[in-house]
Amino acid sequence: MGNKKKQMSFTEWFRDKWSHNAMFSTIFALVVMTIVQSVALGMNAGSFLGTFPKLGIAWMNILRNNTYAGVIALGMCFIIISGGIDLSVGSMLCALGACLMYLLDEQNGLLAAMGITGVPAYIIAIVIVLILGCILGALNGVLIAYGRIPPFIATLGTMKIFRSVTQQLTKQFNPTVPKGFKAIASAKIGGQIFLPIVYWLVIVIIMHIIFKKTLFGRQTIAIGSNERAAKLSGISVKKVKCRIYSLCGLMVAVGAIIYIARIGSMDFANAGSGYEMDAIAAVIVGGTSMSGGRGSLIGAFLGMMIMGVMNNFLNTIGVPTFLCDAVKGLIIILAVMLQKKESD
Amino acid sequence: MKIEMKEICKSFGANEVLQNVNFTINTGEISALLGENGAGKSTLMNILGGVLQPDHGEIIIDGRTVSFAAPIDSLHSGIGFIHQELNLINDLTVYENLFITDFLRKGVFLDTDTMRRKSEELFQEMDIDLDPCEMVRNLDASYKQIVEICKALMQQASIIIMDEPTTSLTVPEIERVFKMMRVLRDKNVGIVFISHKLEEVLEICDSYVVLRDGKVAAKGDVKETSIPELTSFMVGHEVKQEKSVGSCHTTGDSPALEIRNLSDGMHFHDISLKVSPGEVLGVTGLLGDGRTELFQTIFGAMGGNYTGTVRLCGETCHFTSTEKALEHGLAYLPRNRKENAIIKDMNILDNGSIVYLPHIRNRWMIDIPRQEQMFNKQVKELSIKLEDIYDPISSLSGGNQQKVVLAKWLMSEPKVLILDNPTQGVDVGAKEEIYEIIEGLARKGTAVIVLSSEAKEIIRLCSRSVVLFHGREAGELTGNTLTEHNIMILATGGSLQKCEESHGK
Repeated sequence: MGNKKKQMSFTEWFRDKWSHNAMFSTIFALVVMTIVQSVALGMNAGSFLGTFPKLGIAWMNILRNNTYAGVIALGMCFIIISGGIDLSVGSMLCALGACLMYLLDEQNGLLAAMGITGVPAYIIAIVIVLILGCILGALNGVLIAYGRIPPFIATLGTMKIFRSVTQQLTKQFNPTVPKGFKAIASAKIGGQIFLPIVYWLVIVIIMHIIFKKTLFGRQTIAIGSNERAAKLSGISVKKVKCRIYSLCGLMVAVGAIIYIARIGSMDFANAGSGYEMDAIAAVIVGGTSMSGGRGSLIGAFLGMMIMGVMNNFLNTIGVPTFLCDAVKGLIIILAVMLQKKESD
Repeated sequence: MKIEMKEICKSFGANEVLQNVNFTINTGEISALLGENGAGKSTLMNILGGVLQPDHGEIIIDGRTVSFAAPIDSLHSGIGFIHQELNLINDLTVYENLFITDFLRKGVFLDTDTMRRKSEELFQEMDIDLDPCEMVRNLDASYKQIVEICKALMQQASIIIMDEPTTSLTVPEIERVFKMMRVLRDKNVGIVFISHKLEEVLEICDSYVVLRDGKVAAKGDVKETSIPELTSFMVGHEVKQEKSVGSCHTTGDSPALEIRNLSDGMHFHDISLKVSPGEVLGVTGLLGDGRTELFQTIFGAMGGNYTGTVRLCGETCHFTSTEKALEHGLAYLPRNRKENAIIKDMNILDNGSIVYLPHIRNRWMIDIPRQEQMFNKQVKELSIKLEDIYDPISSLSGGNQQKVVLAKWLMSEPKVLILDNPTQGVDVGAKEEIYEIIEGLARKGTAVIVLSSEAKEIIRLCSRSVVLFHGREAGELTGNTLTEHNIMILATGGSLQKCEESHGK
């Protein structure tokens, strides 16, 4: 990489980076967006110095509000790099959230009935929900890998199943979340940073390392890029696919835990719906190719941030809420158009 | 009509692909365009087809200078380009494909009757037995090629460029295409025939042009040349074609791989063969002989549905996944590198070590220094020419890509190595290098099985060869009986007796 030390003009350097480094354009977009956002915030504050505290608060809120979808996007990113898609994540979040509440509820909950309360109960509930997430994800994986159902169809099916079963089972049930559990989401580090933000950032780094440094990451790329070649290279494609979908399930479980801890309740008819699209959008805006093989976990995180900053900016300048989604849609289309240019 | 391409130059970056190339095509003539991979044939034809623009030089049609900005311009000038990958739509009928660029319409609806009638007329004129209402999906490869030619004729093409039309065809199918080409020549259509098969060139073509390193190396009349001469024009020196001697020493008598009565009920039936350590066994036949399916089944890539026994080093195995086969020391280099072996989104290093990655891990992480070190060793041993191991795989030439694919299997040090068309899409020079690598492996005691439809390759490499015909064993040839002639007889369904008789003569 460092062997081409030539004097380049800024524009040359910029063009080179822009066309050869997918990440560069994503970071560039985020920086531009942040500058625009700070100008808007500064004008709102009425003074130059007032901009920075406002920007800090705005970013903290963006990070905090996008935690669940952001964590899910990381799992989704793996799936999209492997050439698949998972539409069921929103419903899965709802199903896992319902399970968690059922385990935790202090009056009628399962753990309470067994006499376990307090911190041990929280830990047991979290572990169970994480395992359940893996299982639900693996269910998708099995349908896709062993049942040979196209990912879009299989997860469209499970999306409906997860949601409707959850709604039926929770008809008579109105659980509450213990106060202690909510500390998971409401505690702050250094008096400023909410814990979920830390969870998210740590998971981003872990997932990035998994993608870049482990065999599993390479196998994911191989399957997404050329499934047949992967199979003939001695990769058991079916097993790896199950693992990929399981990993996404695990991420959804993390999302569900943070969701419940933060909100403390769940509307089983609507909770999580649309998250699949937010996650897919973040992955795509982050420079991951929809056709598989190429992508970046950090990109998925940045993609989520771009959408968040955009949303915040639109709110600041007073764009009607209904129109915000149209702008989001435009960003997605623009991102994919730019990617197309790169690959041509 | 006469097309002259004069002083054509084209470079991609610093790479000069064509340098002052002159090429003339007349109607009523079949001219062969020959050359190794990377000699510039495709670039030259892509310029004529309007896909690429030349940096220098001009194209003159009947004394008039033209320039093609897009394929459509070339088509309107009467040049039809049939690419190696056919551009037919399988889910439409033959006549719909013929009129795909310009559907005839009656008001808003399609004028199916006229289109069908016109197709029938064309087929009659060309003496082709084909129903215009047939779905293209149901046609065999030769008829698809014929439909492509007719498509060009429907566009009033008077020059047709055919890019390696016979590579995926069987012998009778090739004959069918050749028959059509002769009819076309009689109807005063000019054909440019790009091929690697020199026998075919001698059979069908009138004139030839050989490109080498982007320059015209030779041109002339096909009647006055021979295969050895054409080969030496293409390569620039005499090609070593002698048979390897002494690669036949087998160490020990226990076979490394032995299969008995293997059938999958579809592609192959009742196949038995064995190969010893240090031996190079050939398996050959024509397209559709089931050899790829046979060995992919043994390798576990087909899910393990078969009857019969597979014994690897004396141990009975039944692989249901490629991962297991690999663990037991079996390796399979697939045919069609692009579809089956290359992972285009990965760099050279990862492509060349993906098979061995599970073994070079440090706890959970891939041990990258070790990966680099092991791959660099292979790069040296196989003399792979590359700039940086972190470059994309697509930056390499066909021969070097194939070596990278070979490297990934060699890294796992297999006991039995199955090579399916190991020199497909590799030019003549690199071919010989790959042959030497294979011989070297056998000398080190690896049992090698070479699957190939090129009889020459089998004879060059193997001491013993099994010939398959429609999924059944047609016979086994060794030593003196292993000749191109005998392979052809067995592969086309002849019997071994006849084969021996012919050898006796």
